[in-house]
Amino acid sequence: MKKYSFIVFIFSIFLIISCAGDETCTQTKYVKLTVNFYHPNPLDSILSNRIVASIIDSLTVQGLRKDTLGKYTTVDSILYNNQKNVSTINLPLNNFSTSSIFKIKFNTITDTMTITHSNLNDYLSLECGCIITHSIDTVVMTHHYIDSVRIKIHDVNTINAENIRLFNKSK
Amino acid sequence: MQRIFVYLISLSSILLCLPVNTVMAQKKKQITVPADSTRWLNGFTVNVDVASLVTSTFVSNGIYSSEAGIQLDLKHKFFPTLELGVAGANKVSNDNINFKTNGVFERFGIDFNLRKKKPDSKPTNNLFTAGIRLGMSNFNYNVTNVSLTDTYWGGTEIINYPTQNTTKLWYEFVVGVQVEVIRNLYLGWNLRVKNMLSKDITGAVSPWYIPGFGQNNASNYGFNYTLGYHFFQQKKSVKKTPVILIEKKDKSK
Repeated sequence: MKKYSFIVFIFSIFLIISCAGDETCTQTKYVKLTVNFYHPNPLDSILSNRIVASIIDSLTVQGLRKDTLGKYTTVDSILYNNQKNVSTINLPLNNFSTSSIFKIKFNTITDTMTITHSNLNDYLSLECGCIITHSIDTVVMTHHYIDSVRIKIHDVNTINAENIRLFNKSK
Repeated sequence: MQRIFVYLISLSSILLCLPVNTVMAQKKKQITVPADSTRWLNGFTVNVDVASLVTSTFVSNGIYSSEAGIQLDLKHKFFPTLELGVAGANKVSNDNINFKTNGVFERFGIDFNLRKKKPDSKPTNNLFTAGIRLGMSNFNYNVTNVSLTDTYWGGTEIINYPTQNTTKLWYEFVVGVQVEVIRNLYLGWNLRVKNMLSKDITGAVSPWYIPGFGQNNASNYGFNYTLGYHFFQQKKSVKKTPVILIEKKDKSK
């Protein structure tokens, strides 16, 4: 009887001790569009492993937004500022609009890439909150430096996957 | 011929004497052991969990819970159990997201008394039990003030997910002790390992807290400190039934 009373007493002490749960988010919330640059290769459509990555000597990328007058203005923050030797870039799509426009400067030649997409709210948890994932509908490009565009994976989320392939013009 | 006759007589007398000798070598001993006179339905116990009431009051952390249970006593060996409770949470995260829920939960299962009765021990109702439970809760919850910000393009949006509903199912392993402190009044504790059976649907707004289970993890631990009253308990008597045990004599002697 005494032994049992002692065990009950010990566990009543445990009752007072409580552990606070971990309230920090451990999941990645970074949603990014991945764009890779390639040299032109007509065999790409048949054998995708034959394509050769194109390394851009100097690259500058900035977002463009339409103002109330319908005029395009650059977003203050520059995503890639005269970055050297680039073959892949990660771009943020607009969470609250269905189109995202980027001004991409390849060395000295500038192209504009317009991506239309749908946005989807994705609730993760109380600790992490919500993220917005995207699904690419179309990609429209000017063709000063870039020759063609291919959408590889439409879904843009936290998984690091190649979404768009840009093929430069042959020299 | 006479020799053969004498031989047969002596052989048969040896064979006849063998069991007689064995019986003679045994020693009769009469002892008394308590008879298992416990009824099959030996009343029932109503338990109230004090631990959840104390933690809800003093270390709530935005969570409250209270539960009670009823436990049948079958032969003082098997204890079918039904536990009912209400629980809820009003939690604000570091990012000011608010989760709110209120719900009821049910658990049912069985405990087994692991305490072995010693032949000469004093009769006692104390229990050392192990058992299993199946738990279920159907509840509503709200997730509000979820802030979304676009750090590059600009803009902020607040999203609310009101009146979400789900049903969760889990199982538990329970070990515990119950001590009869005064006649029919029991104090006890039990420890539980809870494992979730229902899985969250990908993309769905999953609840942060599940009534009766705790935080929405794959498994949780639980602790109950119970105060119980045993109704219609059979009186333990020190009635002993005489039993004759036959002790075999040690061969080496």
